[in-house]
Amino acid sequence: MHRRSLLKSAAALATLAVSRARAAEPKKIALWHIYARDFDMIHLGIKLFNEANNGYVIEPRLIPYVQINPELIRAIATDSPPDLVVINDPDIAGYSSQGQFLDLTDRVAKSARINASSFYKGPSTSDHWRGRRYAVAREMNALSLYINDDLFRAKGLDPEKPPATWAQVLAAAEKLTDPARRVFGFGFCAHQSEQSTFQFLPWLWQAGGGIDRLDQPEATAALQFWTDLVRNGFVSRDVINQQQSEVINTFLAGNTAFAVGGPWELPRFATEAKFQWRVAPLPVKDDKKIEASSLGGFHFAIPKGAKEVDGAFMVIEQMLDASIFPQGWNTGGILAPRSDIEIPSPNWPQAYKVFRTQMITATQRGPHPQWASLSKPLQQAIQEALTGSMKPAQALAAAAAKIKPVLAKTPL
Amino acid sequence: MRRPSWLLRLFLGLPMIYLLAMIGVPIVYNLAMSVQEVTLGNIAAFARPFVGLDNFTDSLADPIFRRVLHNSVVFVLVNVAGQVGIGTIAAACFAGGFPGASTMRGLLLAAWILPGLVVGTVWKWMFATQFGVVNFVLSALGLIGTPVHWLSDPATSMTALNIAHIWFGIPFSMILVAAALTNIPGELYEAASLDGAGPLRRFRYITLPAIAPALFAVACLVAIASLRAFDVIFALTQGGPLNSTNVLPLLSYQASFQDFEFGRGAAIGSFAFVMVFGVALVYVRTLKSEQPA
Repeated sequence: MHRRSLLKSAAALATLAVSRARAAEPKKIALWHIYARDFDMIHLGIKLFNEANNGYVIEPRLIPYVQINPELIRAIATDSPPDLVVINDPDIAGYSSQGQFLDLTDRVAKSARINASSFYKGPSTSDHWRGRRYAVAREMNALSLYINDDLFRAKGLDPEKPPATWAQVLAAAEKLTDPARRVFGFGFCAHQSEQSTFQFLPWLWQAGGGIDRLDQPEATAALQFWTDLVRNGFVSRDVINQQQSEVINTFLAGNTAFAVGGPWELPRFATEAKFQWRVAPLPVKDDKKIEASSLGGFHFAIPKGAKEVDGAFMVIEQMLDASIFPQGWNTGGILAPRSDIEIPSPNWPQAYKVFRTQMITATQRGPHPQWASLSKPLQQAIQEALTGSMKPAQALAAAAAKIKPVLAKTPL
Repeated sequence: MRRPSWLLRLFLGLPMIYLLAMIGVPIVYNLAMSVQEVTLGNIAAFARPFVGLDNFTDSLADPIFRRVLHNSVVFVLVNVAGQVGIGTIAAACFAGGFPGASTMRGLLLAAWILPGLVVGTVWKWMFATQFGVVNFVLSALGLIGTPVHWLSDPATSMTALNIAHIWFGIPFSMILVAAALTNIPGELYEAASLDGAGPLRRFRYITLPAIAPALFAVACLVAIASLRAFDVIFALTQGGPLNSTNVLPLLSYQASFQDFEFGRGAAIGSFAFVMVFGVALVYVRTLKSEQPA
């Protein structure tokens, strides 16, 4: 009897101790992200947030880039979503249009730390669906041209005056192509995936076209331009099966004289580029003069059913603080989605200037809930044309026919 | 005859429950999804719009699906023939015994230990048109004039994938066949030699009949593994160019996790399941007939 009551009081004491400890313990915010490199600015943001002792602590979970959608869908299907997740630009609308992300419009409007009007137009458009905001951009990127100065000079071209029009791109690509030295003049990505859509859209827009008008002559002009570059051997035919990073691999190896790429490639330039290089804005089509680039980047969203919504939003505020973006650019080539942030004495200053200016003309994909259903027919058309199995106009007409019913159901 | 004890029932019941929960439920759930319209909005709910066989008929009407179905069949047949054929020859060579045979066999196994993503990536480099070692060797031997666009030509990409995947799978077949070879009594070969049979005839009339059941079982296993192939293809081509190397599991993944069309993804998965299930049934039957009567 005596022993039993002793046990009881011990148990009671233990329960008390546990509940006390719980009261003092900060609430956990489950954050799913894709940033494996420990110098990514998200880790700085997590550190700053966790050190602030604000009653919350971030529990990050790293998910490989290609697994973030499957993992999130699995979590939604089993009703166990994280409190905060990073999501790729074109995927946002799929979730927000189906009510799977919380409406953040009012929270952002009331926030003392986020000024919605400071965002660039592209990322802000991606965050919205039918007038309401469901995500907040974490970063942004756009495509520009990487130039190998040494190869340009070797062929008598002036890298100070990089190709600025389509005609100049074609001329430079032809001049720089040197089969004996295994150098291709130019490079872009035409991989069968979202990456080729991302890389082709700037040319489509520069020609005055759009993904909703692929059967128009503007679209044909853009795809014809790409096709001619490949068919003439100025661009390697292997770009059909190269991802963006692999195209930049060939640039860094000195086998491609200039190539389309994003700022996320910059961190490896320091060790891998054995030549002088620079960044130049994407060209314009000679008769249209439309400046355009593709917008990419990841965004923060709070899934429906998140437990710590207030805490998750505090994390978003922390991650958009000006203090973490210098690390974002200087280590990872990441640009702030806020136009009011300019990094003092940035790494790669010339590239920073060009990419930051390119942001102004960078346009988002969609937003559209079935973006993949618009993007995949375009990917196929690109590959049909580049492999020569169809003429550009014919391939694009087929793509337009597939896109039409999707847009009839849900317009852009 | 004794009645089954409660212990027997328990030991039978536990694996049954495990099989039902871990394999039966997902299969039924997948079938249910394949006759529904499943979106990101209703994926957490059980009651979803019933669409009958639309997902199946839509898939069959889609030229991409038909191409991928055709690819899958070709991929499986070529891989079974290639992996089992070369694996058997390799096993027979190693069984002959020569200096360093066991070391060589161990080295060959290294291919099988590699993750599929690594295998895919390495072969992607080797198949590069201008800088790849495959074209370099072929042109050095004078077999090709101009470089082959292995992975950027829809006409050759499937061949490239088959080569990579067969290379990846050979060690698996080789090991299983090697195990079967050790069961053949040596006296048979000695007797045949005395009767004047050369190595080829010994292989044809002694080895092959003795290992035929094992070969069939290995063929089934390779077929199943090929039907499930994903990682090598994901790293090598992601199904491109123009879906020329796409197969059912990858297409199902793309439908569900890129297009967010879960019903269609489930329907494509069901096609793949039926094929795997068919091969698995054949495999189980061969295992039964292999047992001594």
